[in-house]
Amino acid sequence: MRLRTTLPLLVLAVAYAVISFFVTNSYYQLMMTLVLVWASFGLAWNLFSGYTGLISFGHAVFFGLGAYFTALGQIYFDFTPWLLIPVAALVGGAAGLLIGALTFRLRSHYFALAMLAYPLAILNVFMWLGYQELTIPMKHKGAVLYMQFTDGRMYTLIAIVMTVAIVILSQAVERSRFGMALIAIKQNEAAAEAAGINTLVWKLRAITLSGAITGAIGAFYVMVLLVVTPESVFGMLVSAQALTVTMFGGVGTVWGPLIGAAILIPTSQILQAKLGAQFPGIEGVIYGLAIIVVILSAPEGIFWRVRDKLRKRSGTTAVAEAVAIDVPTAGDAAPAASVSQSGGQIILSVRNLSKSFGGLKAVQNVSFDVQRGSILGIIGPNGAGKTTLFNLLNGFQHPDAGEVMLDGHSVFGVTPHRLCEAGVGRTFQVMRPFPRLTVAENVVIGAYVRAANDAEAREHAANAIARAGLTNVAHRVASELTTKELRLMELARALAGAPRLLLLDETLAGLGANEAAEVVTVLRALAKQGITIVIIEHTMHTMVRLVDRFVVLDHGAVLVEDTPQAITRDSRVIEAYLGTKWSAHA
Amino acid sequence: MTPILVENFLQSLMAGLLVGAIYGLMCVGLALIFGVMRVINFAQGDFMMLGMYVAYFLFVAFGVQPTFGNIVGPYVAAFLAAPVMFGVGYLAHQFLISRVSGTRTAQLEGEGHYAQLILTLGIALVLQNAGQMIFGSMVVSVRTPLSSSAWIIGPLWGDFVEIFVNKARAIAAVVSLLVIAGLVLLIGSTRLGKALRASADDPTAATYIGVDVNFAHSIAFALGTSITALAGGLLAPNYPFHPFVGLEYVIIMYAGVVLGGLGSIIGAFWGGMTIGIVQQMSALVLPTQLQNSAIFVFFLLIVLLRPQGLFGRVTERT
Amino acid sequence: MKLGRRQFLASAGATALTASLSAPAVWAQGAKEVEVGLLVPLSGLYARFGTSCRQGAEMAVDRINKEGGIKSLGGAKMKLVVVDAGDTAEKAKSAAQRMVADYPNMVGVSGAYLSTLTLAASEVTERAKLPMLTLSYSDLITDRGFKYIFQTSATAASQAKQAMPVVLKVAKSAGGDPKTVAIITDNTAASVASVKPMREGLLAEVGLKIVVDETFTPPLADATPLVQKVRAARPDLLFFLPTVISDAKLVLEKMNEFGMGQGRVPTMAFGIAMFEPDMLQTMSPDLLQGMIGSIGSWGGKGHEGIASELKAKYKEPWVDQNVISTYGDFIVMRDALEKSGKADRESLATSLHTLDGGPSKYYPGGVIKFDEKGRRVDAGLAIIQWQSGTPVTIYPDSLAVAKPMWSKK
Repeated sequence: MRLRTTLPLLVLAVAYAVISFFVTNSYYQLMMTLVLVWASFGLAWNLFSGYTGLISFGHAVFFGLGAYFTALGQIYFDFTPWLLIPVAALVGGAAGLLIGALTFRLRSHYFALAMLAYPLAILNVFMWLGYQELTIPMKHKGAVLYMQFTDGRMYTLIAIVMTVAIVILSQAVERSRFGMALIAIKQNEAAAEAAGINTLVWKLRAITLSGAITGAIGAFYVMVLLVVTPESVFGMLVSAQALTVTMFGGVGTVWGPLIGAAILIPTSQILQAKLGAQFPGIEGVIYGLAIIVVILSAPEGIFWRVRDKLRKRSGTTAVAEAVAIDVPTAGDAAPAASVSQSGGQIILSVRNLSKSFGGLKAVQNVSFDVQRGSILGIIGPNGAGKTTLFNLLNGFQHPDAGEVMLDGHSVFGVTPHRLCEAGVGRTFQVMRPFPRLTVAENVVIGAYVRAANDAEAREHAANAIARAGLTNVAHRVASELTTKELRLMELARALAGAPRLLLLDETLAGLGANEAAEVVTVLRALAKQGITIVIIEHTMHTMVRLVDRFVVLDHGAVLVEDTPQAITRDSRVIEAYLGTKWSAHA
Repeated sequence: MTPILVENFLQSLMAGLLVGAIYGLMCVGLALIFGVMRVINFAQGDFMMLGMYVAYFLFVAFGVQPTFGNIVGPYVAAFLAAPVMFGVGYLAHQFLISRVSGTRTAQLEGEGHYAQLILTLGIALVLQNAGQMIFGSMVVSVRTPLSSSAWIIGPLWGDFVEIFVNKARAIAAVVSLLVIAGLVLLIGSTRLGKALRASADDPTAATYIGVDVNFAHSIAFALGTSITALAGGLLAPNYPFHPFVGLEYVIIMYAGVVLGGLGSIIGAFWGGMTIGIVQQMSALVLPTQLQNSAIFVFFLLIVLLRPQGLFGRVTERT
Repeated sequence: MKLGRRQFLASAGATALTASLSAPAVWAQGAKEVEVGLLVPLSGLYARFGTSCRQGAEMAVDRINKEGGIKSLGGAKMKLVVVDAGDTAEKAKSAAQRMVADYPNMVGVSGAYLSTLTLAASEVTERAKLPMLTLSYSDLITDRGFKYIFQTSATAASQAKQAMPVVLKVAKSAGGDPKTVAIITDNTAASVASVKPMREGLLAEVGLKIVVDETFTPPLADATPLVQKVRAARPDLLFFLPTVISDAKLVLEKMNEFGMGQGRVPTMAFGIAMFEPDMLQTMSPDLLQGMIGSIGSWGGKGHEGIASELKAKYKEPWVDQNVISTYGDFIVMRDALEKSGKADRESLATSLHTLDGGPSKYYPGGVIKFDEKGRRVDAGLAIIQWQSGTPVTIYPDSLAVAKPMWSKK
């Protein structure tokens, strides 16, 4: 498994090394080194931004700090770069940790643009300190000790080793719990929290690692260039370079930055060489047009475009529609209300819960209990406060008053991922599966909360997939699934964390009658296995055949709590749903 | 000594207000695009550069200067450049941006942001370098005596404190305010404005209520481009420019828009204004070379402490 | 003897996979052409300045070939290779690397305008043992112990030192008697290097007191805070060191706006930015009138032929530093080649180090001779002044074409 992905990489690296050995033109040697420098920078950026989905416009800050650290270390202390480069990694990592800790409170565009400010603020500080231009002192003696080779191929060799190391590291991250956590964050940070992932900690680890690698690359870059100016290492175009090679090649895969750098760096250099002196500007126009054309035909980058095409060509014979659900039939769908009514233990208890936004009382004084192994439906028309109530139950929002007790302990102030560890799983109304991962890979993300290692996580995931009845489609990628299968996949992901209590957010919405029936069958089977389920929906329709009890919300307050049979006859419920006019006629 | 300090303070404040007003207008242009479409357009500065050149050539080569003279001419040229850039923006959206944004991107990785970033970087490269080929590398500006003369407020406090108000900058600031007022009216009370706001809030829901979201995006992009270009035209008498000038302003624009709060036109104006004031007044207490560091540090402070921006709505999740 | 890089490459080149050609290790005597390079920014932010350099280079090479090439090489013609250095250190380094790799027969090069670019490019030319002549000012260029770099302008520190007494002399001869000075400088390397010695005693020596000392990062958005400080201090003189043309306009217009323009606070500029033809595209010539500049080199007396050729051929109104210095570089290369009689890098470098070409014709002051650091011996500077829409040379007398004007307060 490992060998299969590492082997082509090593073959490529050896081939690159062999070719570089035969390149005697010092300019091509430099270009071969620069391709790897920018590929590595792209890989480092990808390790953070590609996997977490948080776009950083400011990776130049780590690059520049590494570069200046190395230059100043040589100029003032005469340290060797062999020592300075690893230490520059520590500097970059520390900067990553600090910047991450400060900036992770921001999301999406705000995060991206805030990152832009760090290198630009520091750039001016370095100017102010008088470091406009630094040159690495030339060593005539002990040049190798100072990484000053007369043969440009030595730099290429070092760059190859560095790049391979970063690729292997990236792949290791990608395959491990680390990578899964990052991918989960990218899909849906809230869902990741709900799946038991401490998103802040993982993001900090990712930016620290990414910053450390970037710092080392910046340090190496100085040794290649031998001159450092603030603009050339902290400038906006430096950060843009990392984005460009990665996005051009493909985000979220180690091959993206490699492909991007291998195409873009030589292209721009050759254009500059062949045309720059004759028709100044035309090289930039052609380069820009090439980028535009490629990105319009491959908006997600070359790698994904090519891969999707290959998949499509070979994948037409793939698995036939798997409809059969591999779950023991739960017998008659009519609820055995009496069973769960008979006073089991109370797993979840909600007491006088209230929450308002501004003047709007979203949830008012709501109380109810849920018994172990039962299925509770929360219904209500749009705007009744269902989602707010749900968010209060699983810790995404804090109530203004009242409390939620899980097994008799208050969950106030408990973060979503802790709650998940405590056995509360949830699904989301808006599904954001990772479309290119298989069902098994999507589900395994939810399994880490209960697993000590990767193998155990995969085992949990397989088990959860079986319970959700998705074994037949486990190896298919999520983008090929039907809505019903996606819902079941979300359910499987929640199950993979072995929850005692499952909170389901509109799992049945938008499904046809037959599909909904299938999902109901799965859910009832889960309840039989002892999992308590709380589900919200805004229609009663299918729910009647699923739940043991209903809580009906209206205007944020509990309208009525009763069995399905009683609810369907309750005039207040009909009124809430259809308005007074209808109830009068009813 | 005190009158000098007072004068320094007031003079820097005045510079900040005048510079800030024009930043504000640039930011408003960007905010239309960023706010409505959520597209990060790296080429915004380069569209502004194009606007500056269009105004310049209208002024020197297409009869604006002989017809309107050196005083009114520059502003006529700036306003004539705006519709030209509206067309450029519209075409750019129709043929390029719309292919990786809006409703087409739902299924794309990162909702198309990656493609948008690279695409607009590509557009920026083309505009800058084509600019060098066509306009050359010589630095130019729209020449008017207004840029080197001032209205003088004062003397105040005896006869020492005098505040200089640069004429070109003052006119540009007033024009900016008028344009923004007009824009706010347009967005607040017309059908088009409603379509823009609906598209910004929720593109999917907007289509349900009959808004042609793609058209609304085209208009937003074109309008945003032309407003930023107008700001460029207003700046052209004061600020000499060249084909690469866009890089100097695009970051300021983004900082202003984020500072003001995403999705708020007025917020974007105040964001730009704040940047101008911080930039100019920081020189009172900090070394002048740290002017731009002051902007970015201030920006980070505000954004980290108040993630929704100075004027953003709280409900808009950080 | 150490194995030179080129020889090493040549031997390894036999097995080369790439299409590029390696150099033959031995040079044929009396070749028909001698390759010389010009490595300057032709794209990006500094393209304007590189273009001027190119004009100077083309005119010089034209003239050399018209005059019969290099006689000691059997009348070999000079062949100019122009390479775009781009606008960043990285681009300059790649360009230099490409140049030394693609043109193994090149014997010498001139470049790269901005000292940042020169520093990066010379890291390559030094290792390729390719002699490089530069007009860049930064002291650092010739402080690295390099053997193949030759600085034809006086260094920034030296220029500052030379300029002071001259400025005072010019001022006094025009009836002024400055006692206080304000400094406004940008923080590019050359400007910082020029200002440093001024602060560290140079101004005190000539009896000038610094009353404002401001450093800014180019490009400025607005010059108000800077010029307000000048206004508050009311100095007798302003020393202004811009690199970017937009900064020059912003400060000068603001000086005028604040009532200190047009000579009321006499302004002395260092560097080329304020004297390019572009200035006339951005502001009124009235506001430039009387501005004085200290520059590493400028066209003047004895360069009339070059000036008229430049006007005819490239429509440039005057001969600036880039044109004349680059012109001079190729004349110096020719002279050194004549002397050595060999067309290879090593010989040209040796020849340049031992050259004694007498009084300098295309660079101000001193002689055509380089010291062990590679600095031109007794390199002087030119003082120029905007007079009626043209910057004219007013110092040294050997170059001066006009008398200084010093408007009274």
